[in-house]
Amino acid sequence: MSRNVLEKLMHQLCVDRSVKQRFKEDPAGLLARYALSDEERAMVTGFDVAGMQKHGVNPMLTLGFWTENAPNRHPAAYMKALRGAAAAEGQVFSAGLKQ
Amino acid sequence: MGKIVGGFLVPHDPVMFVVPDAPAEDIRKRMWGAFDTCAERLAALDATSVVIIGADHYFNFGTGCLPQYIIGTGDVDGPLDVLPGLKRQIIPTSEKLAGFIADHGHANGFDWAVARAFTVDHAVAIPDRLIVDPVRARGQSIGTIPVYIAAGVDPFIKMKRAIELGGAIKAAVEAMPDDERVVVIGSGGISHWVGTPEMGKVNEAFDQEIMDYACTGNLAAIGGLSDDYILENGGNGGMEIRQWAVAMGAMPGARGEIIDYAPVREWVTGLGFVQLFA
Repeated sequence: MSRNVLEKLMHQLCVDRSVKQRFKEDPAGLLARYALSDEERAMVTGFDVAGMQKHGVNPMLTLGFWTENAPNRHPAAYMKALRGAAAAEGQVFSAGLKQ
Repeated sequence: MGKIVGGFLVPHDPVMFVVPDAPAEDIRKRMWGAFDTCAERLAALDATSVVIIGADHYFNFGTGCLPQYIIGTGDVDGPLDVLPGLKRQIIPTSEKLAGFIADHGHANGFDWAVARAFTVDHAVAIPDRLIVDPVRARGQSIGTIPVYIAAGVDPFIKMKRAIELGGAIKAAVEAMPDDERVVVIGSGGISHWVGTPEMGKVNEAFDQEIMDYACTGNLAAIGGLSDDYILENGGNGGMEIRQWAVAMGAMPGARGEIIDYAPVREWVTGLGFVQLFA
């Protein structure tokens, strides 16, 4: 597992508009530029934020990655992806900067 | 000769701007009002410069360069992460003092990284906008010096080193030939979990413990907290008590007073406001 490369990609997908656009239009082409395993690529394209955190990726990056790029950017969707289905219940609090 | 004339320990909670109406009315009035109180008290200190200590949230710095501590010695603007009601603007600076602090550190065992043109994130922009700008609006000229430490992204600056860094800022200010009146602002915390499954949790007991250390000037106690303890009880966001430690380290022996505190789950943070008296 390459936490470092994952974090590099996550950071770019948080702050770099051109990288975010490329990810949206051609994710496979973008990810081919990074030294990631097939499993890691699947985590990125599948928005597996829980899996990435288990592999040591900084939670601020997984939150930013989700907030900037996920199809459903709502904090509740992020928490559901992170915690599992149980998180869908009740009020959700988020430090995400966009809702 | 320069002098540190006071300090504040405050939150920099972006969620206050994103969902300002989420908490109960009395809580939100108190929290926004606590920033106003800090501004009032800053005005009374007749400061010429403020050093605002923040932490990067993996916005400013990427995997290519992760500084332990960095000081803005030139032009400053922000925030990088624009928020509702917090647009990007130029921030007045104290370039001469900032450069002096960096140079003094380099000569005395503190290898500051420097940012010559720095777009700060909300960690510095929020206290600057809510505490310093209102004082500028009264006609006082105050320059902001941004300092960032590694509290959000590992490798984290050691607690002991954070306190020592505050001491280095104090030593530099006091070695400055100009009659600078400097206020230090530790911006961060207290307990919060950012992006983790616990997000929204607040640990009031941990918050009270940290505020107690701040009010009693207990550098040994705050400096003795392990990263495991802080992460367990204060969350990954609780690592930002390092910014408080820097400010406390710049004012050894100072006593503090709680301006206000509330555990605000809707804003995902235990929001504590403390004034340190020189």
